[in-house]
Amino acid sequence: MRPLRPLRETNLDQPHAKVAKVAKEGKDGIHESIIAASEKLTVPPKWCSLAAVISMAKLPFRAGSLPTSRSFSLALLLTLLLTAPHAFAQKVPVIEKTLSNGMRLLMLERRDSPTISGGWVVHVGSSNERPGITGIAHLFEHMMFKGSPHIGTKDAAKDREIMEEQERVRSLMREEEAKMRTAYRRGEIDDLLKPENQTARYKELATEFKKLLDAQRELLVKNEFDRIYTTAGASGMNASTSADVTVYFITVPANKMELWMWMESERLLRPVFREFYAERDVVYEERRMRTESTPLGKFQEALESMFWESHPYQWPVIGWPSDIASISKEEADAFFATYYAPQNITLVLVGDFDSAPAETLAERYFGRIPRGKTKPPEVVTLEVKQQAEKRMYAEAEANPQVDMLWKTVPFGHRDSYVLGVLSQLMSTRTGRLYKGLVLGSKVATDTYAYQDSRKWAGLFNVGGEASEGRKPEEVEAAIEAELDKLRHERVPDEELQKVKNNFAAGEYRKLASNSSILMQLLFYDGLGNWREINEAGPRYQAVTSEDIQNAVRKYFTKENRTVAVYTRKPGAAPSGDESSLTPEQLPILRQMTSALQQEKDSGKLQQRLKEIEERMGKTDPKNQPLLKLYRKRIEQRLAELQKP
Amino acid sequence: MKALLSLGLALAAALQPWTLRAADPIPNRPEKLAFPPLRFEPPNPADYRVALSSGLIAYLVPNRELPLVQITVLVRTGKYVEPEGKEGLSSLAGYLLSRGGAGSRDAQQLDERLDFLAAQLSTSVAETQGSASLNLLTKDLDEGLSILRDVLASPRFQEDRLTLRREQLLQEMRQRNDDSSSIEARERLFLAYGDAFWASKQSTSNAVTSITRADLETFHRRWFHPANFVVAASGDFDRQDMSARLEKLFAQWPFQGDKALPVPGDGRMSPPGAYLVDKDVNQGRVLIFLPGITRENPDFFPVTVMNDILGGGGFTSRIMNRVRSDEGLAYSAFSSFTGGVYYPLQFIAGFQSKSRTVTYAASIVLDEMSKMARELVGEDELETSRRSFIDTFPRSFANKAQVASIFAQDEFTGRYQKEPDYWKQYRNRIAKVTTDDVRRVAGRYLDTNQVRILIVGQREEILKGHPDHAVRLDQLAGGKVNHVPLRDPLTMKPVAAP
Repeated sequence: MRPLRPLRETNLDQPHAKVAKVAKEGKDGIHESIIAASEKLTVPPKWCSLAAVISMAKLPFRAGSLPTSRSFSLALLLTLLLTAPHAFAQKVPVIEKTLSNGMRLLMLERRDSPTISGGWVVHVGSSNERPGITGIAHLFEHMMFKGSPHIGTKDAAKDREIMEEQERVRSLMREEEAKMRTAYRRGEIDDLLKPENQTARYKELATEFKKLLDAQRELLVKNEFDRIYTTAGASGMNASTSADVTVYFITVPANKMELWMWMESERLLRPVFREFYAERDVVYEERRMRTESTPLGKFQEALESMFWESHPYQWPVIGWPSDIASISKEEADAFFATYYAPQNITLVLVGDFDSAPAETLAERYFGRIPRGKTKPPEVVTLEVKQQAEKRMYAEAEANPQVDMLWKTVPFGHRDSYVLGVLSQLMSTRTGRLYKGLVLGSKVATDTYAYQDSRKWAGLFNVGGEASEGRKPEEVEAAIEAELDKLRHERVPDEELQKVKNNFAAGEYRKLASNSSILMQLLFYDGLGNWREINEAGPRYQAVTSEDIQNAVRKYFTKENRTVAVYTRKPGAAPSGDESSLTPEQLPILRQMTSALQQEKDSGKLQQRLKEIEERMGKTDPKNQPLLKLYRKRIEQRLAELQKP
Repeated sequence: MKALLSLGLALAAALQPWTLRAADPIPNRPEKLAFPPLRFEPPNPADYRVALSSGLIAYLVPNRELPLVQITVLVRTGKYVEPEGKEGLSSLAGYLLSRGGAGSRDAQQLDERLDFLAAQLSTSVAETQGSASLNLLTKDLDEGLSILRDVLASPRFQEDRLTLRREQLLQEMRQRNDDSSSIEARERLFLAYGDAFWASKQSTSNAVTSITRADLETFHRRWFHPANFVVAASGDFDRQDMSARLEKLFAQWPFQGDKALPVPGDGRMSPPGAYLVDKDVNQGRVLIFLPGITRENPDFFPVTVMNDILGGGGFTSRIMNRVRSDEGLAYSAFSSFTGGVYYPLQFIAGFQSKSRTVTYAASIVLDEMSKMARELVGEDELETSRRSFIDTFPRSFANKAQVASIFAQDEFTGRYQKEPDYWKQYRNRIAKVTTDDVRRVAGRYLDTNQVRILIVGQREEILKGHPDHAVRLDQLAGGKVNHVPLRDPLTMKPVAAP
């Protein structure tokens, strides 16, 4: 079951998806789950007594774990006492430091495996963009892998010269693009991206540009950044851009901390955005893959755009296609200077290392980066209060389903915890929606509910797939009925406790691996507070039934609601009953069905039915299946027209 | 205390894995950095292996860090045992095992109790293996194990849950042609194995509607008994204690069951050529196939390294470099060449590109494949690949759950019996691969004249090709372009497109 989840994207962009390379026999070796910031199931567990902590330390150091070069000594035992594993159950003991240039550093020592998961988060996302440069934050993420003066080119000086020349040609091309946009507005051309619509001068310049690209390619050391890391045994290198944050992460063997320091500080200190314009082609393919060639991608994008009125969340993280085409390197450089400043970045390290020397190393390497001159601007635009319900009707290659959204609250807001508890209460197999709609009335075959606490604003998303023969609007009504119950009846204590038990267990489950802890810290810091990893827990446990009732009354109003109804596009793909037709008959039926959708006159349709009955007996048996199906379609259309 | 503390910290600092050279300038190349050696030995399966009296083998890997326990029971069954006309029976039974009630609890009671305990229990049956997985808090181990026993030995397969699941499966079926990636995932099986092979059989509405509760019970009683189980357990327990608990869990099974069947491996790849499925999406999906190997083939290690260099290694690989980085033709471009466990799998290369550049991008991939077979790869490329396998090796054993899982899988697939020191030898075998080996296996397995190319996308646009690149699809595919019709989502019978 793949229910629609249009606004849940933290846009897990994977330009560099790599998997640890152990012999693959039909499946990947390693799966490190990435926990999205909003999937925070955190609750504080029972407190471990100090006695328990000490008795843990007496066990053979790392019972059953992998031997390392460390020896077991009294002094080490004492340091162990301070960082004993079960202490995690109380609070994750993150060490926070600030470097001389304002860059922050979070460290968590963890000895589960001889690896270090490291990353950094930039407090910038698509919500920091503006129309004209949407998609720049994401494009940037791609550019951060292209190297530096030392990495990625055989001749830094020549490379720089060629890039300056490329920029000169590019700005001339932009003049031609302006002319093409004028022609487009006048209806003289239909599509700015088609080669046949380019001006002659543009084609000339493009050829010149290509020559410069080829010249640069001679000097290129392809994907050197990746190669250096790969040869050193690093794995899981990737990055991700969302509306709020951009994160970069990787896992290195425990003895390669300094390599991480070198590489990451190098690309922050002096990145070179070579192949900038060529990378846009890759982004276009990514857009096609995610948004344009999937059954629901483009509708999800439209829905998000409709949902947010004033807020920058309204444009897609990947950017509008026309913007992607227009972004210049100059704009990219300015963007980098503003947002990729040390005081806007947090480094995070989780794994097998010691924090004091790591901090010294970090200062040495990252301290080189000069503090940003200007303070990166905040997103000040607030989402306006929604004045009226919004609805969207989409015909898609998908099962009929409904998707509903309400504006709620962002990360850190006191109500975000109430709504987090509410989403757990409504979703899962023993949740209100499944019990009410799937097991109960059977109006739906799948349901979901989800609070998305983003950095600047939030939303609550509920939806479901309609059962065969049922309409999305029926699912919508059933969802509203469940919300009504929550509005008027308090949640019973045992049910609430069940939900809280899951948050409590989640407090432990979230600590399963270095990389999952890394992701949580990266996203929480990006959203505004890394301490959430420890502080969210008690807040979830403190939610009461009254809180839930109040929240439902406050946020789930008609005016605050946006609804997308999806029906299956007629004639898009063969459905079950069409298999009785021959390849020649099928298109005929399709055409007839299409025409039916336009027919609103029930009288005419009744007449047609009569005509078919008369012809049925006289028709060649070969054509009977066609007539039968056509009759069925007419009956279906009549039923539709008769609905209020 | 404070003095001891600082002594402890100082000693800990002295054991740092890197040397701080505060006075030295930062080198301008990372190769100039020096790293202390990391010695890593993989855990030894024999250290964790326990033979229970019921004949069952379990791998127990304690980990006291968190108060959680993970138990996975692997079952010798799979899609391959499904009778004709009942396609979908195995996965339906696998799903309902834990979703249709068990022991004294009906489905609702079971779901509620598990959720109240915040325990995660799921069961499934896939191609060649069934699995029951339980993850729960230590404090609930007694009750959790009793529930696990009920689910494995006495599932109820409640009728209303069967009805619901049938409808959910039909809903899934209705979506079969919506997404080009689903079409690709299905058609690739027909291409690789032929329609008649068990692995490419697809469930249909008829099959799903014909499956009865009695069928599920029969399936369960045939395969779900301790002689067919292998167990992986990790987490907060003492080995001896868990051993005793598992003895109790699997003792006195209420029925006998059948001996596991071998997995048949007689699939037949379609003849070479291009196979084009028409779907109106602006990005075409491409997979290029050739017959492959099993993991026991002596070429396995050279093949693994060769594939890594060609397209398995992400951004260090040739296919990615040319198709994405150089030409910007795709976001994802890769190759894979995994060794099959029970029968040979395939070499597969793939990417997705806008319609007009599908053919050109495919020609680049084929070009790289031939080059691997003709020319030796660079020593640096080889070294990058080998080092990567060797130095990421520890990550496979990064946590205890992984350790238990790897060893249980080795037991299940018979590798432990044949090669108990497989992981010990792994890195040596990678290190031995040479550039000659790489060229040799590329020559042996990557015959570009024999490729089968599966494409899902806008047929007309794809066949047009691109004005800047002269290559045509029929030139790549030995002259043969087959038009593959879509299949009816419920019957899986081919339907001619309009």
